[in-house]
Amino acid sequence: MNTKIRVLETETGVRETLGKFLVRLLESGEVHSVFALRKTPQVGRFCRSLVSDPDLVDELVPFLPVMPVQGAAALTALTGTEPPDAPVAVLLRPCELRAFVENVKQAQGSLENLFIISCTCPGVIPASVQAGKDPGEISMTGPDNVRSTCETCTQLVPGPQADMTVILAADRETPGTVILLNSDRAVTLAENFGEGSIGTGEDGHARTAETLRLRKEAREAFLAGGPVAGKGMDSLVSLFASCIGCRGCREACPLCTCILCDYETSRTLPSPELVRLETDLRGALRVPAGTLQFHLGRLTHISPICVNCGQCSDACPVGIPVAEIFLAASVSVQEALGYEPGMNPEEPTPMSTFRPDELGDITD
Amino acid sequence: MRDVLLNLMLRALESGVADYVLTPSRGPGGTFPWILVNDVRLLDRAEPFPPVMYVQGAKALASFARSPFGGKVLAVMRPCEARAAVELSKLDQVTMQNVYFLTMDCPGAVPVKSYRNGDFTEPDPGEPESLRPLCRQCTHFTGAGDLFLALHGGPPVFRPVTGSGRELLETLGMETGEDRAEWVEWRDALLRHRKEARKRGMEDMRRSYTGLGGLARLYGGCISCRNCRTVCPICYCRLCFIDMKDRRSPASDHLHRSGERGGDRLPGGTLLFHMGRMAHMSLSCVSCGMCEDACPSDIPVGRMVSMVSEKTAAVFGYEAGRDTEEPLPLNTFEPDELHEYED
Repeated sequence: MNTKIRVLETETGVRETLGKFLVRLLESGEVHSVFALRKTPQVGRFCRSLVSDPDLVDELVPFLPVMPVQGAAALTALTGTEPPDAPVAVLLRPCELRAFVENVKQAQGSLENLFIISCTCPGVIPASVQAGKDPGEISMTGPDNVRSTCETCTQLVPGPQADMTVILAADRETPGTVILLNSDRAVTLAENFGEGSIGTGEDGHARTAETLRLRKEAREAFLAGGPVAGKGMDSLVSLFASCIGCRGCREACPLCTCILCDYETSRTLPSPELVRLETDLRGALRVPAGTLQFHLGRLTHISPICVNCGQCSDACPVGIPVAEIFLAASVSVQEALGYEPGMNPEEPTPMSTFRPDELGDITD
Repeated sequence: MRDVLLNLMLRALESGVADYVLTPSRGPGGTFPWILVNDVRLLDRAEPFPPVMYVQGAKALASFARSPFGGKVLAVMRPCEARAAVELSKLDQVTMQNVYFLTMDCPGAVPVKSYRNGDFTEPDPGEPESLRPLCRQCTHFTGAGDLFLALHGGPPVFRPVTGSGRELLETLGMETGEDRAEWVEWRDALLRHRKEARKRGMEDMRRSYTGLGGLARLYGGCISCRNCRTVCPICYCRLCFIDMKDRRSPASDHLHRSGERGGDRLPGGTLLFHMGRMAHMSLSCVSCGMCEDACPSDIPVGRMVSMVSEKTAAVFGYEAGRDTEEPLPLNTFEPDELHEYED
């Protein structure tokens, strides 16, 4: 726990320090582009964007606690067919980085040529709360009303792929900016930056131990009393009853990368004959059929690798707690599989690995 | 009015005029899922007047009636839902064979988000503030389908629209006389009012979002969830053009664009998607407002499509949902048309 690592400290705030650092990276040609959150004055809404012109760095709002699009989804769109042919500095929250690592494992993206800047994450606020707010109104380090999946997130420190970790969530507030330099490349770029001072200090885990304890408590409380805790099929039917079939949860999910979802294929969609048969048997049938099948199917496909980012709930126009249901399921599924998504690009995903001697405790 | 409709559904099933009824119902937790019913005892779950539109009725119908279903179906839905079904039939996504469409003087629908928050009043055409923006300017609020329930200007009464609607009423021994004068008066007054509201609404949209900059601002908050497309009854493609693999740009293209313009939004193609969707479906748009209701970013996407659809349809003298026999303009080649758009 007491690992000492190289640390860059500046006296200016996070937005200013990062802004200067990114301008420096672009001007020196150390990266071709920066990938970050942006708010253009013309459009006035948050988005993900590449920026290559140092003058446009002003429009970036790095690590503003909003998630209009999950970073991994946007980065998968960038690197899905081939890695970038020039270095790109990529700003991602820990859950976005973990989702991206999962996509890399599924051959949907590449870590090549990316310089990854992440943070100790205080969480993001839901889309419904952020609408109409100015970036200046939102606290970077301690936003109010974060997503429920953020309140209960215990992986607030980014994985080993992060070259730099900007300290946002921390047990003790420090003036100025603290950036952990996790790789040699990060140390070099920080040295070239020429601002602040480079020394050694505590790692991300040591700086967030108390925050993590509180998050763990929140998670335990959620698992004990959340929307699906200890309830069966009836509860699931009720929770998904208001589903309008928009599939926004799937489209917003960074891990649902299939071009054509299994639940849209002709082999899975119920045939007219089946609908008629079921209606005749039951007297009445909900149509379009297969609402629960879709959600449980997606849960089956995604829960082993779900990073609990909460993006699905944000995209749901009728307020179904999709992300909370996925949290409850993924905690037990990942525990059973002994799998921690997004930590190691070399570790095979559980569903693509056959081991004859596993899961003895949950088979007959 | 609910009882009148329920009674007709019951008689239709009992007499064998229909083997199945498709209707919204009361589901758990204040929801209104569509159900396909053939057991008369389960008809008490039917709620033909839900305050919201959870799923567009044509979409519910298309989920099982793409090919002949093997039984007669009485589909009880709103006028815009029956009109969307007409469009889907021309696109070979719904068979009209053995389906009767029963509609009503539509009270409109409240936004699904207001409904979920409990912040709504029952829809009432006389109180436009209670309705979804596109319902407030809807000019096709009655007279759709094979028959409809007239609610205004006297006690509720069924009115035939098509020959098969008339036949259905006659088989059930119901009157099919003339429209009553009070109802015609009500319809004409609301139509005048709605036409005005629509004109104002369209002008607002045009003023606020004119030009490419306006469109960029309108769709700037798009999170690419594609809810608008998925809930749209007309967007039936299993795999949308925008999601096809060959539409993906390699990283080098993105970096090049970013280098040229200073920056490049990711995922890209937001405007391409929305404008492409309009190009594909706007002629068949029935202005049901489902897309706008489903948008988690509150983009007035339905009002935009509806405005564009009015313009494109006018070019071809086409009206979505009017007549199953009216050919789709984009499926029809006329050697001698659209000269005013040529160079």
